[in-house]
Amino acid sequence: MRLLLHIAARMGMALLTMLSVSLIVFVAMRMLPGGFEMIILGPIQTEEARAVITEQFGLDRSLPEQFLSWLVAVLHGDFGISMITRIPIADEILRRLGATVQLTAMAVITALCVGLPLGVAAGLADSSTSVRTCGRLVGALGASTPDFVLGVALVYIFSVWSLGLTVGGYVPFFEDPLANLRAMILPASTLSVFGIALILRTTRESVLTVMTEGYITGAVARGDDPASIVRRHVLRNASLPVMTVATIYLSLLLGGAVIVEILFTVPGVGLYTWNALLNRDYGVTQSAVLLFSGVIVTCNMLVDIAYALVDPRIRGRRQQ
Amino acid sequence: MAIWRFVNLIAATLVTGSLVLVGAAQAGSGGSIAWGKPTEVISFDPHVSGDGASWSFFHLVYDQLLSTDDDFGLAPGLALSWEEVSATSYRFHLNPDATFSNGRAVTSHDVVANFQRLTNPESGGVWGKQLGEFEAIEAEDDHTVRFDLALPNPVFLKVLPLTPYSILPMTEFEAGTFDPAVDILGSGPFMVAEHLQDESWTLTRNPHYHRAGHPLIDELVIRILPDDSARIAALRDGRVDIATFANPDTPLLLADVPGVEVVVQNTTNYFRLDVSAIEEGSPFTDLRVRQAAHYALDREAISNIVFGGQAIVDYPVPAGLGYEACRDDPFYVMPRDERLAKARALLEEAGATGARVGVIGSSTLMIYPLIAQVVQANLNEAGFDAFVEQIPAAEWYARVFAEDTDFDLAVSWFAGYTDPAIVLFWWTQAGAAGWAHGYTITDDRLDALVARTRMLPEGEERNDALAEVCSVINENSNVLALVNKPDYVALRSDLIEARIGRNESTFDNLKYAEEFSRLD
Repeated sequence: MRLLLHIAARMGMALLTMLSVSLIVFVAMRMLPGGFEMIILGPIQTEEARAVITEQFGLDRSLPEQFLSWLVAVLHGDFGISMITRIPIADEILRRLGATVQLTAMAVITALCVGLPLGVAAGLADSSTSVRTCGRLVGALGASTPDFVLGVALVYIFSVWSLGLTVGGYVPFFEDPLANLRAMILPASTLSVFGIALILRTTRESVLTVMTEGYITGAVARGDDPASIVRRHVLRNASLPVMTVATIYLSLLLGGAVIVEILFTVPGVGLYTWNALLNRDYGVTQSAVLLFSGVIVTCNMLVDIAYALVDPRIRGRRQQ
Repeated sequence: MAIWRFVNLIAATLVTGSLVLVGAAQAGSGGSIAWGKPTEVISFDPHVSGDGASWSFFHLVYDQLLSTDDDFGLAPGLALSWEEVSATSYRFHLNPDATFSNGRAVTSHDVVANFQRLTNPESGGVWGKQLGEFEAIEAEDDHTVRFDLALPNPVFLKVLPLTPYSILPMTEFEAGTFDPAVDILGSGPFMVAEHLQDESWTLTRNPHYHRAGHPLIDELVIRILPDDSARIAALRDGRVDIATFANPDTPLLLADVPGVEVVVQNTTNYFRLDVSAIEEGSPFTDLRVRQAAHYALDREAISNIVFGGQAIVDYPVPAGLGYEACRDDPFYVMPRDERLAKARALLEEAGATGARVGVIGSSTLMIYPLIAQVVQANLNEAGFDAFVEQIPAAEWYARVFAEDTDFDLAVSWFAGYTDPAIVLFWWTQAGAAGWAHGYTITDDRLDALVARTRMLPEGEERNDALAEVCSVINENSNVLALVNKPDYVALRSDLIEARIGRNESTFDNLKYAEEFSRLD
């Protein structure tokens, strides 16, 4: 019962957050200088022609009216149409979701596969100066290199020397898996570098902390097998902070994916949102941001629930 | 003799038959060619669209009444021939084979209804104004249209090849089965098979295209690749066969890519600097300050620094059109040192030395901020305190092309089209209404001069009038022409055969796309 109440409270908070984000984005979009009618018609145009466009899309209505009608439609599952293409936004987003999901999945898997073992190794072998230095260096470099800097460098290098990988040549995975991977390796690598550093550093710190705990000393004193100590005690106890940063990383990935999709021309939701923002295609931006915020709050909610499941003290504390 | 005639007839029949067979064999057997395009099409309606990125696409699917040749001369389009019935009346004879891609023949009614839509201020917008007023537009028969103008307009014919005057299927429009804001249906060489927004367009050959056996290729795929490096990479690995660039470094960047040829396409377009001349608080409301900024400009430096010397100094009357007007204007010919001294003196006289002014170089084109940086340096040499503002398109439009403007200087560009009177129209009150009226001064003398230029036929008198217009424009220093705007077309000449026009005035970068073919 306690757990159910905890979940219900988290879901309520999640919905409130999404509503707030939608409102903020709606207001922010309308405060941006320049409107859709300017973009679609270009600068050399008459006031009359612009007025026709604003009326056609209901952009001449009051802001509360526009927001409420959008919200009501969304609650009915209607995200509206793109003002540029007149195609339903839900269809456009759905078509692009595959590329973004693949990109983020590849980045997360790479970050976990590289960051976790390196972090555990760095934590376990902390007494070695070279391992410690190496771990810190990789962590600092990865964390301090912005993905747009790395991305620009990779785009330039691989446009001059192809080296078997392609820049801007996205093909859906099920159409041509090899061509897809050739196009996705660079953007996924760019996106994963920060994640590798983040997970490496967090894992290393967690392992170091756990290693000083009494039960580890006890296990060593008992003569337990070192591999078993790592598996049963170190990894299990170090996993909670890693889980937290992995979730934060997933949230960051959505922001990073926008930049990486633009740089490598990956036709995902990020690129779509960016172009919509530039074109003042309001409905698309609002719907995409709603989707992003939905993913983020869902991730956070799932972590919270997982925390509560793993550690009963947390759900007890929340109920007090 | 009769035998020889018979032999000739047989020979002619055989030759014609062979050509038809060759044409038929070529048609539809040419495979696919991919074009790496930097920008997506924003607006689908050619009658109101105002961006060159969309225009270069429209020419692949829509036809205009007339076209242009490589020397900016008029060429047949949908109209195979035309005649000037009188100074105010023109008759066009449509190609009887012209057919929309849905299989319906293009008729006079389509042409008439198109121009009625264009001249309706609500649906045609600004482009109707370039046509002038009509007494009547009439369909004399299914393939003959007559335009009766209210006043003589020698520029009328030269306006017709412009993209906004594309001929749409108006019968379908009137029936409600074609919406130009959403649908694309023309009589051009290609038709749209698929569009994935921000990703690609797949065009297939229009089976009803009026030029027999054309296009030679079956399919033209347009890949939207905004990043220059992505287009270069795509050219390198053969994902695209043609790519267009605005970056003047393109020939250098592609020098090492095997099989790639770069064609520098000269255009009549030119970059310009808009000066905020009427906004309250702008230092440029003072004519002396505007002129100081004008004298301070170093167009040679813009060409050398931004374009590696490939751009040429340009004038309100586009240099690409070959007119001599504006060439001896003091703002251009005075040595740089003297111009700087003059600029400093004017600025001091106006009490504006050290005036802090922003130069907007929108990120819409990668060239804009680069030009803005050179302009900033030029102005600072003359005693301004200039800074560059790099902002997105929507903000630039809102701050510059609005009722209440909020800027000092902004880099932009004008299309030069096929005749100087077309671009000069934007300097008049009628031309600027609705978009540039927020920053341009009212000058009745200039309006009268431009109107006169428009009415004059080619010749000495017109050249003198153009020179006078130029002189007034430069004196006002409100909109300053900078350097021309060439386009760069790179193609894999080892994979395809593609004729690229060396001179272009209507954004028809791939004008000969119907003749493109694959070599492999």
